[in-house]
Amino acid sequence: MIPIAFRNVSYSYPGGVVALRDVSLAIAAGETVALIGQNGAGKTTLARHLNGLLQPASGTVTVGDWNTNSRTVAQLAGRVGYVFQHPDQQIFKRKVRDEVAFGPRNLGFSPARVAELVESSLSATELTAYADHHPHDLLPSQRKYVALASVLAMQTPVLVLDEPTAGQDARGVRLMERILGRLQAEGRTLVIISHDMDFSVDHCRRFVVLDEGHILLDGPPEQVFARPELLTKAAVEPPQLARLASRLDLPLVWDAQTFVEQLKAQR
Amino acid sequence: MMMLYQPRQSPLHRLHPLTKLVVSFGLIVLALGISIDWAPLLLFVVVLVPLSLLARVARPFLDTSLRLLLPFAISLFLIQSLFFPEGSTVLARFGPLTVKAEGVRFAFASTVRILMITGALLLTLLTTHPGVLMSALTQKGFPPQLAYVIVTTLQIVPQMRMRAATIVDAQRARGLETQGSLPRRVRALLPLIGPLVLGALVDVEERSLALEARGFSASTPKTSLFEIADPLAERVFRWSVLLLMIGLIMFRLGQALL
Amino acid sequence: MIRLQGVRYTYPVSSAPALAGIDLDIAEGSFCAVIGPNGAGKSTLCYTIGGFVPHYFRGDLEGEIVVAGRNTIEHPLGELVKHCGLLFSNPLNQISGARFTVREEIGFGLENLGVPRVEMHARIERVLDLLGIDDLAERSPFGLSGGQQQRVALASILVMGPQVLLLDEPTAQLDPLGSREVFAAIRALSQTGMTVVLVEHKPELIAAFADRVIVIDAGRVVLDGVPQTILASSELQRIGVATARWTEAARLADAHGLWSRRDPLPVTLDQAAEGFRVAQNTPS
Repeated sequence: MIPIAFRNVSYSYPGGVVALRDVSLAIAAGETVALIGQNGAGKTTLARHLNGLLQPASGTVTVGDWNTNSRTVAQLAGRVGYVFQHPDQQIFKRKVRDEVAFGPRNLGFSPARVAELVESSLSATELTAYADHHPHDLLPSQRKYVALASVLAMQTPVLVLDEPTAGQDARGVRLMERILGRLQAEGRTLVIISHDMDFSVDHCRRFVVLDEGHILLDGPPEQVFARPELLTKAAVEPPQLARLASRLDLPLVWDAQTFVEQLKAQR
Repeated sequence: MMMLYQPRQSPLHRLHPLTKLVVSFGLIVLALGISIDWAPLLLFVVVLVPLSLLARVARPFLDTSLRLLLPFAISLFLIQSLFFPEGSTVLARFGPLTVKAEGVRFAFASTVRILMITGALLLTLLTTHPGVLMSALTQKGFPPQLAYVIVTTLQIVPQMRMRAATIVDAQRARGLETQGSLPRRVRALLPLIGPLVLGALVDVEERSLALEARGFSASTPKTSLFEIADPLAERVFRWSVLLLMIGLIMFRLGQALL
Repeated sequence: MIRLQGVRYTYPVSSAPALAGIDLDIAEGSFCAVIGPNGAGKSTLCYTIGGFVPHYFRGDLEGEIVVAGRNTIEHPLGELVKHCGLLFSNPLNQISGARFTVREEIGFGLENLGVPRVEMHARIERVLDLLGIDDLAERSPFGLSGGQQQRVALASILVMGPQVLLLDEPTAQLDPLGSREVFAAIRALSQTGMTVVLVEHKPELIAAFADRVIVIDAGRVVLDGVPQTILASSELQRIGVATARWTEAARLADAHGLWSRRDPLPVTLDQAAEGFRVAQNTPS
């Protein structure tokens, strides 16, 4: 399991838009980081440097001992699994099973191992019953899981999840939580881009807030969500219970259990 | 850059949309009708490019023409040079593949024709406000669906290119190797045609729903936000061009039959 | 304003019905939220009220649907869209691509309806003002943010003068800032007396604005009532619908005897803050 690091990374899109300004960020092996900020702040741009889809104009990006500028995207895919926000941009096979097999096959796993990985990924994403269906026969929210399964099957030490709970109903969110828990238990390094603060605060102990291409805040949730002026600037709304807690002048909490205990203690 | 239209003050911009379409049509007929290989290229350079300068859209015109044309040109050249069935004048050999002069010639002729056709339509779209174009067409009796397709079709190309790039990125991120030998790259990219088309179709379906919600198929006759001037001189000019073209086509047909 | 009776519908290439028996009455001026798990039939319900089912999608439709006094099966879609507008979740696909500026884009619907030119300008101005997008009028719809595009799409529908507005997860593809902008616009509309049907996943947004919540599951209405009751219902978890965290916290507090028995479970932040303040000050 490996760490990742951005050192003084700057990037501008062709056309001149400056997307990242001198960003430095070190993520330890096995850490789960939430990357938050409004659309256009640079979250996706930053994440796309991890698998080499983008190369920094200046600065370096390292994934373990690899510098991304010395590897192809296909090579980096062996270390960084990227689940895109819109699964329909990625899915192209006619059977769910084949879609999930695509990644591990490209990485050169043996046919037996590929079959094994496909089965376990389908099982983890509760898609086993749909293995032989055409992906477009599934609901859009289920196709997100097909995309996730195809990345899980690649067994990468690092994963980037772009808006994992967008468009999911309550059951879908609970399944994502279970999968995330398993990935964390396996020691994988996770980068989660999300607008869903409640989901993020349940699973991430570190929040990196991006605003206009640079890091505005970087730290544990109790630190990050205690800065309302900066959060407003970044157009980030704290998790629901944090907002409630601050209305009641209670210390910040994230889950109902702790909240109620604090309430009891206070009376 | 989703819309091709470039707002400018120019004589071309002031013309009625139908006039521009008729002239484009005329030029296309000329380009296809003349059997001299390099004639369409001549028309492009001698007619379209100066017109684009006059319309002050020369840079986007040349830029987009080439960007639209290049993928076609490359594949045409490759396929026709190597696999053209007739003729036997061999220019070069690459192992089992031969490059025949007839193939190269055919590729050239086809490429410049495509250049001419896209160029003519492109110049029209660059100098014609899309809403004005659509309204002008519907006012003259075109079915609104056809008018919509004419206005939006070439816009699809940049959209498809963006979408194709996204799909390719998504597959590279799953270990698809897109570098290396040409056959390898073709093999890698071929399966991506499916989702490209499927994604485009889904978009078309969603957009068609949205169009319905905007009353596109309402039975009331459509009105227009734009006042579109159509001077007599232009109408006369259009009919003259049309008659000339029809005359030319009949002449050529007559020639071929005799 | 909207009445569905015995509505059953199956899409053309499906075997299972998308709507399995819906009876619904929505009063004029109501702001009705529709929630439910994915695949439950929420979008299909919107399409059915709007007349896209059956006119656009074909398929098997039973039952009666009357919207703004018109039986949707008997009227052509081109007629129905004048009275009932539908907004989708993808802002980009709602831009026609056939108009150059936001102003013209909004006017597109009026052109389709054959509205005289003089009237068009006035109506466009009104709707630009209503949604606070005057400053976007001369810009290209393609250069805008998601939230801006959705408001332009909303304006384009509103300008046609519908009495009913159907919104199918309008903020699904927007960031929180964009969502807030669009929601503020929808709320402003509801306050002008428009009948609004909103399909949405986020309970906190619904709690603040809706006066009625309908829960759809497997093509049927399974819960129907005021937000106060429905969004605090313990049934929601079983059905697969999210509950706001403060509601959950209050439920837990209640289980520990810490929530005042007189107060219903809170569904908005204000209610939660109020209720917990009382709980804090109540001696144990």
